[in-house]
Amino acid sequence: MHIDPLRDGFSNRFALMALSILLAIILMAILAPVLTRFPPDYYTGQIFSPPSYSHPLGTDSMGQDIWSRLLFGARTTLFVAASVTLISTLLSFLVGASAALIGGLYESFWMRIVDAMSSVPPMIVMILLAAYLRPNLLVMVLLLSFLSWPIGARIIRSQVLSLKERGHVYASRTFGASWWHILKSHIAPELGPLLTAIMIQDARRAVFMEAAMGFLGVSDPMVISWGKMMQQALAFTYLNVWEWWLLPTGFALSLTLVSLSFLGLSLETAMDPRLRKDELGAE
Amino acid sequence: MMLQIKDLKVSFGKAEILRGINLGLEIGDSISIVGESGAGKTTLGLSIMGLVKGSHSGEVRFRGKDLLTIPEEDLRGLRGKEIAMVFQNVEDALDPVQRAQDQVAEAIRIHQRIGAKGAEAAAKKILMSVGLKGDKARAYPHQLSGGERQRVIIAMALANDPALLILDEPTASLDALTKADILRLFRSVIVGRISLVITHDIALASALTEQMAVLYAGEIVEMGRTDEMLREPRHPYTRGLIRSYPGMTTTKDLQSIPGRMVHGLRGCPFHERCTQRIEICQREMPPLREIGGRQVACHRGGIVPLLDVRDLCKSFDSCDVLRDINLTLYEGETLALVGESGSGKSTLSKLIMGLYEPDSGDVVLEQQKVLKRDISFYSRVQMIFQNPKESVSHRMNVLDAVLEPLVVQKKGTREERLIRAKEVLDHVELPSDDEFLQRYPHQLSGGEVQRVAIARALALGPKLLIADEPTSALDPSVQAKILKLLMGLQDKMGLAMLFVTHDISLARKVSDRMAVMHKGRIVETGATNEVLSNPEHPYTRKLVQCASGEPEKMDDRKMPDREISKATENIEINLGEGIRCRESNF
Repeated sequence: MHIDPLRDGFSNRFALMALSILLAIILMAILAPVLTRFPPDYYTGQIFSPPSYSHPLGTDSMGQDIWSRLLFGARTTLFVAASVTLISTLLSFLVGASAALIGGLYESFWMRIVDAMSSVPPMIVMILLAAYLRPNLLVMVLLLSFLSWPIGARIIRSQVLSLKERGHVYASRTFGASWWHILKSHIAPELGPLLTAIMIQDARRAVFMEAAMGFLGVSDPMVISWGKMMQQALAFTYLNVWEWWLLPTGFALSLTLVSLSFLGLSLETAMDPRLRKDELGAE
Repeated sequence: MMLQIKDLKVSFGKAEILRGINLGLEIGDSISIVGESGAGKTTLGLSIMGLVKGSHSGEVRFRGKDLLTIPEEDLRGLRGKEIAMVFQNVEDALDPVQRAQDQVAEAIRIHQRIGAKGAEAAAKKILMSVGLKGDKARAYPHQLSGGERQRVIIAMALANDPALLILDEPTASLDALTKADILRLFRSVIVGRISLVITHDIALASALTEQMAVLYAGEIVEMGRTDEMLREPRHPYTRGLIRSYPGMTTTKDLQSIPGRMVHGLRGCPFHERCTQRIEICQREMPPLREIGGRQVACHRGGIVPLLDVRDLCKSFDSCDVLRDINLTLYEGETLALVGESGSGKSTLSKLIMGLYEPDSGDVVLEQQKVLKRDISFYSRVQMIFQNPKESVSHRMNVLDAVLEPLVVQKKGTREERLIRAKEVLDHVELPSDDEFLQRYPHQLSGGEVQRVAIARALALGPKLLIADEPTSALDPSVQAKILKLLMGLQDKMGLAMLFVTHDISLARKVSDRMAVMHKGRIVETGATNEVLSNPEHPYTRKLVQCASGEPEKMDDRKMPDREISKATENIEINLGEGIRCRESNF
């Protein structure tokens, strides 16, 4: 059976939609200086100005252009998401795969750590740590990565455990192959789709956590963040400013999260044979 | 010694037909000389008769006289009197215009002072003794059947009661029934003489003679008791001969010996066709040495044991899966490991392969204990798995799959690897064009993928192939092709094979020896035909009966499963005391 879950997963309608939305957000983040005339921290001289030609989403209580802040906020969100995803997935892979391949005490050690970390709600740990550390962006990324790798590690370990019982892995061992060769030629390619799914989940979690930290006001005050923008906007709900301040920000955040969810969902469907609609793959 | 042949060498021009034969025989000895045509069998017979042409050296002493040097008259006095030969061509040895009894009488009168009447009477008596009487004795050769003519020839040979009787392919042109008659006759006439039977018919040799000498390219490569040699040949050539002979007791498919016989080769005459040759075989001719009650001319002391499994035990979570497994696998032979699923067959093969760690016991490869499974181990031992679509990664195309072992072991350059890959694909009869090399397993049939897996296993040039149910995932016609392929490869490369299967009828066709497993124990081992025709362990009996489609004949009340298990449990005790173990002396 030759199935390419990645291709299947990314080719359904939901996934395509989600992908294009994500792509749009990424483009907005990259092209932010081109799409707006005002730097995000620039004082425009008027506060609470409603949307106009020069300020598409008006200005906030500090007289800053909301559209600019939205665009630059996307940069923060995507940077955090990307870094956390990379670091966390790498950690998951290293710990999960090595535990499965090496086994024994080493495996038990790491799996108990994974158990311990999974039993603590990451949100609370994060709030506590952030409240004391007042983390800048880098520390935030590290903290988030540190909190999110165990889930992926457990999934990868179980997958590698099953992969290493595959016939072709046994066959490879009978040529005298090292574990490194097996990992590289037989296990990593098979893990591809799973790793992608884990990465998407990690990204979604990171976006959410970063926003939440901003919203709770425990992150670096200098960083422009969607979560923080929403928190600031909430203070002025008695004015109608929330229509162009709170709403678009919330909408952008939701859209990002929903797209990532859709992407993850359709990948998961493609990878699980029981959820596949067409029985015999797309080849 | 009545007949003593010392270092007999015969050559015609440059061709050395006999390269130093040594043989000593006493009255009452019977020996068969077997070998392919052209091995020098007939030349040996003729030399003893003093009829050999071509240059010769050495001695053929009969009653102390050297037949190669005594004058022609003395030789004539012996020939037909003391030494007689039954020639291989029944048609030509008789004079078509003389009656049978006259021809026999003539043979008598040449050597004995006896009147015509007396000779005729004696001839009649002899013809009677070989089963020709009355009218038949007076008939002309063309009036007699092949079997009867053969009797006349035998009568002529026996006319003067010779001490040494040479039979050269005596039954070659006879049908089975006549052959059986003549065989019975031979058995009675060889008593009290030296008899030398020259034949390529192994059944005849085993029926007629006590000893057997295998002649190859003018040299005796193995000599010993006939029954022992047939049961366990020690020289690879002897085994090849037996394997290519269609006997009624052999169950394995016929296998040929690759290559052809070349005379006058330097070193061991068989080395070019031998699959276990080492460097010395090309340089020196091995002497005929006594090895375990047998004379074998082989630098390696005969067929070498390739794999020894000693007291191997394995348990998973305190559940004994294998208990005290002992096995020996010889170079170039197939050992079938038979048993129901769950008997531990696959576990055993994985243990040998190092995919599992044993609890205790050793695996010995080529007389060296395997301490760690390194690259050198895996280049000698390879495995073929049950499900080819599982064992070949679906992400690798044919080329990648076949290259993998070479890449893992870092063998050769990229170009050399490619050449090797194409070569092994050729061995397994798969195309090796670029289009095929780029195909993925899901684009191939199950049989083709299994061939790819076999090619991959062969890429490293292993000596031992462990085949774990290699055909159970394939349909019967594909299975047949794969098995033929495996046996052909065995011929060609001398691969030893451990053939793991639950199908005893399949094992019967492919294996030389068989080991039956039950509940993690080997309950019976031996030559396949012996195990199958006379199974000793009740479990083997059950397997054989089930495979014959006669389960209803089984008397379950007589031998319930409980009893079988008990018999298996008892094996250990018996093995320990060495009382009953069919572990062959191989």
